[in-house]
Amino acid sequence: MSQEEIIVMQDVWKKYSKSVRSYHTLREDIVNTFKKKYNSDSLKRDEFWVLKDFNLNVKKGESIGLYGPNGCGKSTILKLIARVTYPDNGTIKVNGKVAPLIEIGAGFHPDLTGRENIFMNGTILGMSIREIKKKLDQIIDFSGIRDFIDMPVKKYSSGMYLRLAFSVAIHSNADIYLFDEILAVGDEEFRKKCYDAIEVFRTQKRTMLVVSHNYESLKKYTDKILEFGI
Amino acid sequence: MFKRLVNYRDLLIVFIWREFTIKYRQTALGLLWAIFQPLSMMLLFTFIFGIVLKHKLSDYPYVLFFYSGILPWSFFSSSVNFGINSLVNQRSLITKIYFPREIIPISGLAVSFIDFCISFLIYVLFLKIYGIHFTKNMVWFIPLLGMLIIFSMSISLLFSALNVYYRDVKLLSSFLLQLWFFATPIFYSVDKVSMKFKLILFLNPLTFIVENMRRVTLEGRGVIFWQLCFELLMISLFYIFSYRLFLTVERKMADII
Repeated sequence: MSQEEIIVMQDVWKKYSKSVRSYHTLREDIVNTFKKKYNSDSLKRDEFWVLKDFNLNVKKGESIGLYGPNGCGKSTILKLIARVTYPDNGTIKVNGKVAPLIEIGAGFHPDLTGRENIFMNGTILGMSIREIKKKLDQIIDFSGIRDFIDMPVKKYSSGMYLRLAFSVAIHSNADIYLFDEILAVGDEEFRKKCYDAIEVFRTQKRTMLVVSHNYESLKKYTDKILEFGI
Repeated sequence: MFKRLVNYRDLLIVFIWREFTIKYRQTALGLLWAIFQPLSMMLLFTFIFGIVLKHKLSDYPYVLFFYSGILPWSFFSSSVNFGINSLVNQRSLITKIYFPREIIPISGLAVSFIDFCISFLIYVLFLKIYGIHFTKNMVWFIPLLGMLIIFSMSISLLFSALNVYYRDVKLLSSFLLQLWFFATPIFYSVDKVSMKFKLILFLNPLTFIVENMRRVTLEGRGVIFWQLCFELLMISLFYIFSYRLFLTVERKMADII
């Protein structure tokens, strides 16, 4: 892996199971607890490949768009980069801090206030408490919901959720940002703010992976678009 | 595990703080709940055994006898209760972003520990009121507490990970905890039990812990050292097994949960 390359995915295979029950794998897991290596090349009943021999190289500062129909594996790629799930075969190297922009509200607790949730979401994204305290005002200002910041977020509208989530994410100082079809909810004004922020990211040479069904905006905000078929 | 938690210590702190805040927010009694539960259980037992059954269980006042058993049990049962469902409840986070998953059950354990500390103060108060002498042997309480924490953590990790696969664990849990409660010398003492049954009861690590916690605080006696070492070894082995299983399940958690 050269200095420039920040993400390298090599011959990545990933399968999923259609089955509702997954406990036959627990037996394997218990056995594997005391072994080092898995062997999982072949498909079992009800399993299918989401990614077959997938390769991706991303250089530092690049922004890549992922475009394709539902179920083609775009989100799986983001999950693999975020280390939420692991490939069945192949290697993935990620050289830097990853900040996935989590689905609206996932990192939020409804009973906590907006301000409290900033701490929660920020630490989940790998910020330290001290760092968040320092940036708190910036985060609140960017979100534009200062008047509601001490209100429990269960009373927020989905747009307000998004504003806060996005604001925390872009202040998290990561090397790689993952955006999964997230900007669809915000209003016109906030969407513009987000795109401006993405522009700034690009001048700052941050790396981004954007999943979207909007080909036009991908063309505008990314350097390269990977198109997927089924 | 220690290293993983140190790297994510701010996240752990925020999770503990969050669980603590959520637990007592929108409650009228707040922290009093931490005292209310063990205290009411103790009073109930005192009423049943002291007034209804008129049964003499030990030479020590009922209040102390029961409370000394309920204190560690409450910690164990509340941390396990929280742990079992904790991972499944955080599904939306687990499928989106990486962090050491054990932070989730451990934050519940930490909140239970805060409750434990508060009810422990009440225990000290009771000891004073009933004029129990504070002896050097009470220092044994500290390693016993350490064992209680490790054991509760192991069970939490194990059950929370298994619950990702089998939701049976959740259904089993309330029933299992009930059985476990009776299998632990909370409202009785192992001293009065015949040797044969004693051995069976000691298969439950909580028996050793609860019995000895009572012994070192109420009776001022010490712990038999080789027994402590043996139990500690068993609990440590169990912990290693639970944590390794947890780590294996962790890799697949997002796909299965």
